[in-house]
Amino acid sequence: MISCKNIIKKFDKLEVLKGIDLDVAPGEVVVIIGPSGSGKSTFLRCINRLEAADSGTITINGQAVEYKESSLNKLRQDIGMVFQQFNLFPHMTVMENIIEAPVLLKKMTKDGAKKKGLELLNKVGLEEKENEYPNRLSGGQKQRVAIARALAMEPKIMLFDEPTSALDPELVGEVLTVMKKLAKEGMTMVVVTHEMGFAREVADRVIFMDGGTIIEQGPPEVIFETPQHDRTKEFLGHLK
Amino acid sequence: MNEFLSFSATYLPYLLQGALVTIEIAVIGVIFGSIIGLLVGLGRVSSNPLLSQISRFYIWVIRGTPLLLQLFVIHFAIPSVFSALTMPPFVSACIALSLNAAAYIAEIARGAIQSIDKGQMEAARSLGLSAGQAMRRIIIPQAFRRMLPPLGNEFIALIKESSLVSTIALYDLLRTGQQIISSTYRYMEVFLLVGLIYLFLTTIMSYIVGKIEKKVGAYE
Repeated sequence: MISCKNIIKKFDKLEVLKGIDLDVAPGEVVVIIGPSGSGKSTFLRCINRLEAADSGTITINGQAVEYKESSLNKLRQDIGMVFQQFNLFPHMTVMENIIEAPVLLKKMTKDGAKKKGLELLNKVGLEEKENEYPNRLSGGQKQRVAIARALAMEPKIMLFDEPTSALDPELVGEVLTVMKKLAKEGMTMVVVTHEMGFAREVADRVIFMDGGTIIEQGPPEVIFETPQHDRTKEFLGHLK
Repeated sequence: MNEFLSFSATYLPYLLQGALVTIEIAVIGVIFGSIIGLLVGLGRVSSNPLLSQISRFYIWVIRGTPLLLQLFVIHFAIPSVFSALTMPPFVSACIALSLNAAAYIAEIARGAIQSIDKGQMEAARSLGLSAGQAMRRIIIPQAFRRMLPPLGNEFIALIKESSLVSTIALYDLLRTGQQIISSTYRYMEVFLLVGLIYLFLTTIMSYIVGKIEKKVGAYE
């Protein structure tokens, strides 16, 4: 479903991605862990081309992610993204946030989009918040709205860029619950996170990145219980 | 005091006529200045190097030269070379004020657009919106809210600076006052009245901008 080959990304002279290869199968949940500055967020952002890789190829469903506005915009409709800072549109209500893209891009009617929007809000447990502005919501609620907004485009893939890192600890759970639900429904997901509990419980595959390369990958029980690489052991050791 | 009141009663209608001209050119300046300014501001932040260079040049020239000079160039210098471009003072005044305000408004627009968190653009693009759609639906509505306070300042400045048009024989508020003085020699009374009327106009303007600010700021 996602296929990345030899992705290299530089910021000026600093090479942040040193040739990443990754294939994600339909329905697979891949969790990327690693220290800050390891390039995991940058890699995630390369997948929907919020960052342009300097070299390497990315294909989504057999279609190359390249720089051509129209095809890129089309492709992005199939790839939902959830950000660390939520990035809800503050001048729109919760419902307006959710229906903006479907009405604009999928030519849905407002009523149709709203009906779908209510279902999604129901799914993330926020149906009573449809007319609130984002500044009236807690961080966890904002992030759940952001997930609903991404789902409104009916994406085939969801990318999560440290979705719980900006949340107060007691609000992390409600967001992870929604993500678990999604994973169970068979959504293809790539998640960058520091939530090891989530990785252990939900991931089909855990990838450990450091210094712009994939150091080690495998099923969560293998990565967490019997890591092969010293760097992985060291990183996981710090967490305990 | 009584004497001042009766003097005012005599001449206020003339001054209000002048004030009407001031209001007209100020309103036209606000409208066209805002339209041109927003376009130039968008050009300034455009990724197209030609557009952004042209906008930058425009802002550089207009902000770097006096409004009075711009007024003279439009009303006297250009018609002296191209006589077809001779215009009545009112039209010259409106053009000069609009073009001048546009440069300042362009910078206000640019600042506001660039102040919007870049996560907003990223979120919009990640949903599949084109750059133009994201600008129109997500960035500009938020930037507009931030533009309002400096825009209010600019509009107030525009009302006051419009008094420069009195130099091209346009009977605005200030020039009307000068005309009354030339026949009555009552400097103090006339300038006092003129000042009060300007103060009234600028107060109204900040009141209107404040109202709009409240209205579009409901989400904050």
